[in-house]
Amino acid sequence: MLSTEPVTTPVRATKLEVKDLNVFYGEFQAIKDASMDVPENRVTALIGPSGCGKSTFIRALNRMHDLSPGVTVKGHVRLDGQDIYGKDVDPVTIRHRIGMVFQRPNPFPKTIYENVVYGPKIHGLSDRRKLAEVCERGLRRAALWDEVKDRLNESALDLSGGQQQRLCIARVLAVEPEVILMDEPASALDPIATSKIEDLIGELKRDYTVVIVTHSMQQAARISDFTSFFLLGDLIEIGTTSEVFTKPKDKRTEDYITGRYG
Amino acid sequence: MTATTPSTATPFVRKDNASQRRLADAVATGLLWTAALGIVLLLAVFIGYLLYLGAHVISWHFLTAPPSEISAGGGIGPEIFNSFYILVLTLIFTVPVATAAGIYLQEYARPGLFNSTVQFCAESLATIPSIVMGLFGLIVFVQVLHWHFTALGGALALTLLNLPALMRVTQEGLASVPQALREGSMALGATKWQTIRRVVLPGSIAPLTTGIILIAGRIIGETAVLIYTAGVSVSPGRSAFNWNPFHPAETLSVHLWYTHSEGLVPDAVDIGNGSALVLLLIVLVFNISARILGRGLSRHFTGK
Ligand SMILES: Nc1ncnc2c1ncn2[C@@H]1O[C@H](COP(=O)(O)OP(=O)(O)OP(=O)(O)O)[C@@H](O)[C@H]1O
Ligand SMILES: [Mg+2]
Repeated sequence: MLSTEPVTTPVRATKLEVKDLNVFYGEFQAIKDASMDVPENRVTALIGPSGCGKSTFIRALNRMHDLSPGVTVKGHVRLDGQDIYGKDVDPVTIRHRIGMVFQRPNPFPKTIYENVVYGPKIHGLSDRRKLAEVCERGLRRAALWDEVKDRLNESALDLSGGQQQRLCIARVLAVEPEVILMDEPASALDPIATSKIEDLIGELKRDYTVVIVTHSMQQAARISDFTSFFLLGDLIEIGTTSEVFTKPKDKRTEDYITGRYG
Repeated sequence: MTATTPSTATPFVRKDNASQRRLADAVATGLLWTAALGIVLLLAVFIGYLLYLGAHVISWHFLTAPPSEISAGGGIGPEIFNSFYILVLTLIFTVPVATAAGIYLQEYARPGLFNSTVQFCAESLATIPSIVMGLFGLIVFVQVLHWHFTALGGALALTLLNLPALMRVTQEGLASVPQALREGSMALGATKWQTIRRVVLPGSIAPLTTGIILIAGRIIGETAVLIYTAGVSVSPGRSAFNWNPFHPAETLSVHLWYTHSEGLVPDAVDIGNGSALVLLLIVLVFNISARILGRGLSRHFTGK
């Protein structure tokens, strides 16, 4: 794919195309007519003040809202051109292709090994040697291998918060998704653990498309290629991160970036 | 808030206030501790008293011999067997149905008319007194179906009686598994059933097991419902182990009631005390093993 692309164009293939997305919690509309393109092999950050709908938006990208009664999603999200909200689409296969890492680390109450191989096992891999390989590869890519390689059969709950979050990333990587969604993956972590996760995200975009929610503008600036700004359920602006941070098109974006919002 | 209650607005100022609060804390702690100690003492006295009354009755003969109708020296062998036999039958019927219903209600059913109807029915079923369920069993199993007094009839009546509680235990066990774990599993492309089987059920195995054993302890002690369904006699002349579910099967607790209130044997009081002690010990063993097993299982399933 890379080789066929002219080196000069900065434009990437669109991995996810969001079109006129609306999300309702009962009567309350949390996302209003949002549209954006998520480019392949890039990191796209979602920023905005608390309660503006970032989590609501990102959870619509892999049909996580299906799990909660009372939530209605309208509009289109196309993965490689195919609408994931289409009639015959199985949300389970969508979530296999679009993985998600959550704000609070949520390792299963199982061993470290069992956590990483959970996904591959569910998708039918049962060969022990292959599973062990998958486990090591996942943990290596999540930059956790060296810390846990001697304790794979210990409970994942004994890991530190930062390690747990990298384990959750390893767990997602092990199912080989195409897109990884992250909802404030570092917000419960200390600065050192955070910078490890940030480095990791930089690595991940070589192989994956990453969408990340963050409440830290510095973090968005450090790790993302594209940034979109949400306010009160509206997607106000999307552009390359440097554009959005240095010359925002919308006054409200500028106010937020310069700290004039809470 | 601060405007209307000025006294709470300056809580850290006065010294005597602090010592007052410390006193209140000490009093509260003392009261709670006394109440807790009281419960422990009550149980100890109760067990001690039953031991005093019944310990001398218990012998190998008493535990294994069949009961006697007229003369002294009867045992409770068949009753002990029947208690466990009916318990096992009941659990075989109850656990799968209650678990399935609990899983459905907790994990699949969307809030709505059907869900609340089932919940309401379960709650109503749970409030039916044991003796009424016994009469129901008498009519259905003994009279309409002509089974007469049977272990099976007793077990089925017990099943009806305990289904709601076990369903509730299942639901509470499942509800104790954080939603974040379900989401984590689904976000890896797992189906709902895979998530339930591999994450939710293992995560709730400890409360489920504990709950089942505690309910088993209650079933072992059930009496009223069994008097009308499983009967007050054991098949005479047979060994202690009667596996036929269509035979009458007096349990230990029924025997306890029967010898005390209707028994003709001269040593009825002794037999009653001995039975009570054995029953109590069985129930205690259930409760203790529920705790131990629950702890062990949760450690096993969390990989700790
Ligand atoms: N389950 C829910 N039911 C009803 N309203 C909800 C629900 N979840 C979120 N909301 C509302 O939707 C809006 C958007 O919430 P969302 O969680 O998406 O915000 P957010 O941008 O992720 O905020 P934060 O930065 O605090 O995580 C908020 O007004 C919130 O109150
Ligand atoms: Mg959020």
